[in-house]
Amino acid sequence: MAKTIKFRLDGTAVEALEGETVLEAAERAGLRIPHYCWHKALGNPGNCRMCVVEVEGAPKPQAACRLPAKEGLVVRSASPASRRAQSAALELHLVDHPLDCPVCDQAGECGLQDYYMDIGRYPSAMREDKAHAAKRVPVGPHIMLDQERCILCTRCARFVSQVSKSHELGIFGRGHNEAVALVPGRVLDNPYSGCLADVCPVGALTDRDFRFQVRVWYLDGADSVCPGCSRGCGIRVHTSTRRPWHNKGRRLARLKPRFTEVNGHWICDEGRYGYADFDTDRLGKVMRLKDPSAELGWDVVCDEVAVAIRQGMLKDPAGLAVVASGGLSNEDWRAFRSLFVDALKLERFLFAPEPDQVGEQDELLRRRDKVPNLEGGKAAGFGTQIKSLDWDGLAGEIESGKVWGLYVVDRDPVKVWGERGRALAEGLSLLVCQGPRKGLTGGLAHYRLPATDWLEEAGSFTNFQGQVQTYLPALKPLGAARPDWDIFSALEKAVNG
Amino acid sequence: MSPFTPEQEKVLQGWAARYPAPLMGLGEALRQVQEWHRCVTDEDEDYLAEFFGVPRSRIREVATFFPSYTQKPTGRHRIGLCRGLSCSLAGSQSMCACLEKKLGIKDGETSADGRFSLETMECLGACDQGPALLVNDELKGAATEESISRLLEELK
Amino acid sequence: MTKLLTAHFDEPMLHELETFRRLGGYEGLKKALALGREKVVEEVKRSNLRGLGGAGFPAGMKWSTVPSQAQDPGPRYVVVNCDESEPGCFKDRVLVTRAPHALIEGLLVAMYAVDSEQGFIFIRGEYGVQHRILQKALSEARAAGLIPAPSSIDLMRGGGAYISGLDTALLETMEGKKAWPRQPPPFPTAKGLLGRPTVVNNVETLCMVPHIVLKGGDWFAKLGTAKSGGTFLFSISGHVERPGVYEFPMGTPLKEILAAAGGVKGGRKLKAVIPGGVSTPVLTADELDTPMDFEGPRAKGTFLGAGGVIVLDETADMVMVAHNIERFLAHESCGQCTPCRQGSYWHERILERGLSGGGTAEDLATLERAGENITGKVICALGDTVGVVTRALMKKFPEDFKARFPERRG
Repeated sequence: MAKTIKFRLDGTAVEALEGETVLEAAERAGLRIPHYCWHKALGNPGNCRMCVVEVEGAPKPQAACRLPAKEGLVVRSASPASRRAQSAALELHLVDHPLDCPVCDQAGECGLQDYYMDIGRYPSAMREDKAHAAKRVPVGPHIMLDQERCILCTRCARFVSQVSKSHELGIFGRGHNEAVALVPGRVLDNPYSGCLADVCPVGALTDRDFRFQVRVWYLDGADSVCPGCSRGCGIRVHTSTRRPWHNKGRRLARLKPRFTEVNGHWICDEGRYGYADFDTDRLGKVMRLKDPSAELGWDVVCDEVAVAIRQGMLKDPAGLAVVASGGLSNEDWRAFRSLFVDALKLERFLFAPEPDQVGEQDELLRRRDKVPNLEGGKAAGFGTQIKSLDWDGLAGEIESGKVWGLYVVDRDPVKVWGERGRALAEGLSLLVCQGPRKGLTGGLAHYRLPATDWLEEAGSFTNFQGQVQTYLPALKPLGAARPDWDIFSALEKAVNG
Repeated sequence: MSPFTPEQEKVLQGWAARYPAPLMGLGEALRQVQEWHRCVTDEDEDYLAEFFGVPRSRIREVATFFPSYTQKPTGRHRIGLCRGLSCSLAGSQSMCACLEKKLGIKDGETSADGRFSLETMECLGACDQGPALLVNDELKGAATEESISRLLEELK
Repeated sequence: MTKLLTAHFDEPMLHELETFRRLGGYEGLKKALALGREKVVEEVKRSNLRGLGGAGFPAGMKWSTVPSQAQDPGPRYVVVNCDESEPGCFKDRVLVTRAPHALIEGLLVAMYAVDSEQGFIFIRGEYGVQHRILQKALSEARAAGLIPAPSSIDLMRGGGAYISGLDTALLETMEGKKAWPRQPPPFPTAKGLLGRPTVVNNVETLCMVPHIVLKGGDWFAKLGTAKSGGTFLFSISGHVERPGVYEFPMGTPLKEILAAAGGVKGGRKLKAVIPGGVSTPVLTADELDTPMDFEGPRAKGTFLGAGGVIVLDETADMVMVAHNIERFLAHESCGQCTPCRQGSYWHERILERGLSGGGTAEDLATLERAGENITGKVICALGDTVGVVTRALMKKFPEDFKARFPERRG
C-alpha cells in the first residue's frame, strides 16, 4: 500500500499518493484545476501555465502540474489571485487565437471556450492584427491541422513520440514563430492517429471524418466496447439522432476512446473509423424470401424456421451446419449453444474468421483477431470441445450433399466463397440468414432474421485477456431487429414447441 | 544517396565521437553542415537523423530553433547586423538601410548571385563597438558607410 | 584601486601562456592543488563570490551542493557559460579575447574543487574569433601539462539563442536539443548534463577564483560589500564617451563608473541608465549614487545583472528603448511557456504600433496589466523579464509614453 499524503486544496482535504503532483491528486479526487499541457498519459511539461495556484508560504504562484503533493500543503486554486493568474494565462493563449469558433468543430468541447466561460469573461484588449499561420492542412488521412488555433501545449508531439512512437509531428521554429508541423515528407498515418484529435485540447487537430458533420451539442452518448478486435477497448459512442434530416440521417457520429484499464486513453484508427458504414445494408424486416416471399412476424417466422429445421433433421440430423461469428456477445453465445448444441444437438459449426478478420497486431493495443469475442465463444465450448470447420471444408460438404441446411449468424459465407458462393447457397434446401446486415448471403437466403448490431443492444464481450466488459445501447434497433440471443431463445421455444 | 562527401562524413563522425554522448555533437555537426551547404536541407536532416539514430523530428526541432542554421541557403558571405539596444543607439538602423542599398537586397534576403545574404540579428556582444557586424563568423565593430564599402569590396 | 582581471590588460601578449604565466598566471591553480578540495570550496564560500553571469548565486554554495563521489559515483561536469548574449554585456568576450588562460585556470580550479575530470566551455556561436583564441590557449595549456589526463576541457559553440545562456537551457543545448529550459528541481548540481552533477559557472566568476585561492576568501570579500565580494566587470555602452569594460570593486556608485567611461557622449544630458543589461529596469539620472553590487540596485527595483551598463542621453525615446527590448525578448523567447511566447510578441506589437503613430492611452493600461500577468508565472528568467523594463520605463518616463500613446476621443 503506497503511502498517502494529505494536503488541502481550496479548503477540501485531498489525499495524494506518493510521487503525485497536486494536479494529479486533484484530478483523481474529482477537483478540477485548469490545464492544457498536462495529460495523464503524456506527462507534465508545465508549459501552458494555466494551472498556476497559490501555495501558502510560497513567494510566487506555482504550476500545480509540477508541484509535488506534500503533507500539509495548503493550495488555493480558486482564490481571486489564482483565478486572476489563470485568467491572465488564458488571455495570453487567446492573443493570437483566430476565434473562429463558428466554423470550428471543437466548439462546444474546446478548452479555450470552457475556461473562458469558467474563469475568463474579460473584455478583450487585443488590438493588433492576429498572427497568421497555416489552416486546413490535411496532415493525414484522419486529421486536419489548423496552426492558428494551436496553443502549442505539445500534447500531440508527445503523443507521436511517446505513444505511437511514429514521430511524424514536431514543434519547429522558436518563440512566436513556433508551430506544430509535419516533418517534411511525412504523413500523419500511424495506426493511432485519430487520438491526436482527442489529445488536442483545442481545435488545432480535428477529426476529418467528423468534420462539419454535427455540432457536438446535438450529440448523445453511451459507453460501449469496441468490437474491432479481441482487445475490447472502452469507447464512448456519440450518436446524432435528434435531427434525422441532417447529414443524410447518419446516426453514428463518432467513436471516442473511454478510459479503461484495458486500453488506457487510446483506441486505434481501425476501431475508430471501422464503423462508418454502420447503417448501410441493414436488415430491418423479418422476411421469408421463397414460395412466396413475404414479410412475417417473429412468431410466424420462428415457427416456420423451426418446422423447416425439424423436417430436414428427420431425414439427416447431421446435415444442418451453423456459421457463427466472433462478434456475438457472451449472452448470444449462451443462447446460441443452448439452441444449437443442447436442443438440436448439431455437430457442424463454423466460427473460423473470414479472411479479412485477421489483421495486424502491435504492442500498444491492436490484436490480430479482428473480432471482439472469441473468448466468449470458447467459454461456451466453441473452439474448445467444439471444433470449427474451415470454409473450404464446409463448401465441400455442401457440394457433396452432406450439408443440406445452413444457419448463418452475422456472417457472409457467399462473399467468402467468392465465385462459387451463389451456387453453394442455391444448392441448400434451407438457408437462414440472421444478422444486422444483408450481405450477399442475405440476398440468397430463404429466411432473413434482422438482428441488432452491438450499438443497439446491451451485452458483454470477453477480451483476449479474459476481461469481461459490458456495453450499453447507444442507438435504437432498426425496424423489427432483436438481439441475437433473443432470436435464439424464441427459436428454441419454437423448436421445442 | 548521402548529401555529403566521404571526407565530410568523416568530419561528422568526428563530432559524434567527440563528446560524452554522440548527440552532444549535433550542434557542431549542424554548424558544419550549414557551412558546407549554406543551409540545412531536408536531405541533410534525414541523413543526420539516421546518423545519430534519432527521429528526424528531433533534428529538425534543433535545426529550426537556432538561427545559426537556416532552411534556405544564405549567401557565401553571411552578413549579420546587430539591432541590439546599444547598436541601435549607435545607428544600426541607418547601417541596415546602407547595406540594403549597397547589396540590393532586403533584410533576410540573399543576393541573386548567391554571394551575400543580410540578416539583422539580436545583440552580438559587441555593444562597445556599435553598430556591430558579424561577417561570416567574425565580429566587425563600428560600422560606417565607408567601412561597409571597404568590407564589401574585400569580400568580392 | 584594486583590479584583478583587468590588471594586466595593457600587456599586448596577455593571451599567450608565457606572458600570462610571467604575470603570475596558474599560480592559483598550483596553490589550489596544494590546499585540497575542501579548503578551496571553503575559501570561495568565504569570499562572497557571486555568480557574475547575472544570477548572483553564491559560487561557493553552488560548488558545495555537488554530491561527493561517495554519494554519487560517476562523472561530473563543470560547464563554463560563455554564451554571453544579454544586450549591453560584452565582458566575457573581452576576458576571453585578452586573457583566455585566466578562464582555463579558473575552470581547472573549479574542476578540482568539485572533483570533476571533464570541463566544457560553451561559447556563443557568434564569438568565432574568441572560439579560435580559446582553442589555441587550450592547446598551449595541454602542451604545458596544465590539463593532466584524465582531466580534459573541451569547447562547444552555440547556435545563436539567448536562452542557451540560462543554465538548464544551456545543458539542453549541449545535449543536442532545442534550448527549452528545464524546471528545477532537480538542479544541475544534482542532475545536470546527461543527468550527472554539473556546475555551470559564468566566465568572469571562474576568472575570479584563482585570485581568491591565492589571496584568500577574506581578502576577496573585503574588496566588495557585505554580501557581494570582490570586483566586478562593467560593460559600458550606449551614449557614453569611452565604451568598454571597466573593473570596479563591488558597491562602487554608478556615478563613478560612468565617470570612468568619460561620461555622456558629446556632453549631452543624461536621461537614464540601464544598469545590468536590457533585462534590468532603468535607473534615472537622479539615481546615480546607487552602489553597484547585487544588493544596491535591488533597493531601487532593479538588478546588477551581468553589469551591462547602457547609457541613455536626453535624445533617447523611451518607447523606442522599450520596443527594442521587448522585440529582443520576443525574438529570443524559446516558445515553451505560453505567457512568455505570446506576451513578449504582444508587447512588441503594441510598442511598434505606438512608434508608428497608432498608439492610444488604453494601450498603456494593457502593457501595464499584461506584463504583470507574465512575471513570476513562467518557467524561466527570460519570461519573468517580459514587460518588466517597459513598465519601469513607463513609470519613470511617462511623458515619452504619453507622447506615443495619447488620449484619443471618438
